[in-house]
Amino acid sequence: MKRNVRPLVALAALCLSVPAFAQFDADAAENVFKENDCHKCHHATKAKKGPALKKIAAKYKEKKLDEKEAIKHMTAGQKVKLDDGKEEDHKIIDTKDVKVQTNVARWMLSH
Amino acid sequence: MDQCALKQGFSSLKMKVLAASVVAALTAGLAGCVGTSTRGADTTGIDWGKIPATKLALFYPGKSSYEWLRDPAAHKGAASETARGDSCVSCHDDAKEEQRQGAKILRGNHPLEPIALPGKPGHVDINVQAAYDDKNAYFRYQWKGANNIEYPYYRFDGKEWKVYGGPRLDKPVQEGKQPAIYETRLSMMVDDGKVPMFKEQGCWLTCHEGERDLNPATKEEVAANAAMKAYKKSDVRKYLPASRSNPADWKTGKSTEEIARIKAAGGFADLIQWRGHRTNPVGGTDDGYVLEWRNFDDGKNHFASNLDAATKQPKFMFDAGKFGSKAVTADQVGKKDNFLIKGANAVPFDPNAGWKAGDMLPRYTLQPADASGSAADNKGFGIWKDGMWTVVVVRPLNLANPDDKALKAGGVYSVGFALHDDNITTRGHYVSYVKTIGIGAKADIVAVKLP
Repeated sequence: MKRNVRPLVALAALCLSVPAFAQFDADAAENVFKENDCHKCHHATKAKKGPALKKIAAKYKEKKLDEKEAIKHMTAGQKVKLDDGKEEDHKIIDTKDVKVQTNVARWMLSH
Repeated sequence: MDQCALKQGFSSLKMKVLAASVVAALTAGLAGCVGTSTRGADTTGIDWGKIPATKLALFYPGKSSYEWLRDPAAHKGAASETARGDSCVSCHDDAKEEQRQGAKILRGNHPLEPIALPGKPGHVDINVQAAYDDKNAYFRYQWKGANNIEYPYYRFDGKEWKVYGGPRLDKPVQEGKQPAIYETRLSMMVDDGKVPMFKEQGCWLTCHEGERDLNPATKEEVAANAAMKAYKKSDVRKYLPASRSNPADWKTGKSTEEIARIKAAGGFADLIQWRGHRTNPVGGTDDGYVLEWRNFDDGKNHFASNLDAATKQPKFMFDAGKFGSKAVTADQVGKKDNFLIKGANAVPFDPNAGWKAGDMLPRYTLQPADASGSAADNKGFGIWKDGMWTVVVVRPLNLANPDDKALKAGGVYSVGFALHDDNITTRGHYVSYVKTIGIGAKADIVAVKLP
């Protein structure tokens, strides 16, 4: 029996071409994001005290930064500059589970 | 009672007729009937089925006082924004914010709630409807809750009358030494734009350290404070920041002259409180205002203390012929309507009436015939059935009293809602972020013009 391999080839190509950070659990990520009050400064599309997730994702894409950079940002408590020129310590996410941090980072960068 | 006449408003004659009819209904109902449904029945005649409802989620705020909100160590990343007057919802704007906040605070071991409150939900859903005609604004609220309409008592121990029961946050109740007893209350705080930052921060402006259950000031501290002495107050209650030189310190009260100037300029928040024990049985709703303290309006309330300060005994007892007994006992709490009402079932206290240990009398007497002046502006009808409260509050439009915010057709007002249920008071309520009410104008909640 002849096998139609075209769908298999297409699927393989798709798997190879989709970036790793596209694989995430959006509901779980959003829940952690909100439990940590991240949404109070970061909206999906509009600027609040912090930049929109869409803007962050665009910046990371432009600068070829990956989820590791995003995780560093949410765990290191670095100083961030606000619109009024003042600086504040960025809040640290309340989990040390790297899988959870990775899921949140991937979800954020998918915007 | 003529329904159309009721809908048209409350002239003084009609108010007296209403009061008399409420008392008559109560007297009939109090003759031993349990769970009668005449009390609190909505007599406005409005077809509420035609008025759109706005669903709100009121959440448990714990100890999030104004001082906490302005403390960078506590309200991380938002303290300076609060101090500069940013609105709460500039950050707290998620669709499920109230549900999430309340659940977090009541999770246990949260810094905003050190007291264990097992089983208490983090939020309550409430439907709000509003309507108006030429005379009044009408607000209708519905929410699922328990039928908590009792209030603490004075209980005779054989020698003295001592308080029995208390709100759930009180230490003796927490320790199991007293039962949790307190009335359900539904409140709305209102401003017309004259209170700085009320539009942005609402009721949180009035919630301060030093108040009851918020690291309360001692009697001695208050007695030693010149401003509190001038206000003639012995404890710290809700106040507006503008009444203090330091908006986050109760001890820095402004002079009574300055307070009078602020009040005359409208710099106070109106506070409308429907009370399940102390106003509902007589068809009333509290009218007060917040400025340097949480004040009652001028005139007489629907209720008064039942304690004679000189004799330390009650002033009134039940008329046994009408109530069935001269007092209540602990096993009767929550089993029937134990309201002590002047002109209906209350008689002057007789110390020689053969009191036994365990006899109890209500801490407050209801006084429908005495309620007068600005304090008696608002009416209220609340009924509980099958786990659901339905409360209608009637507020006259265009009030001209110096202690009222006048609601006018076409006006838009900033409001905050609070629900005290679960035998609780002070900060133990569920609250809303600031909303707007429009009297026939665009707002979060629009009062519909009645035909």
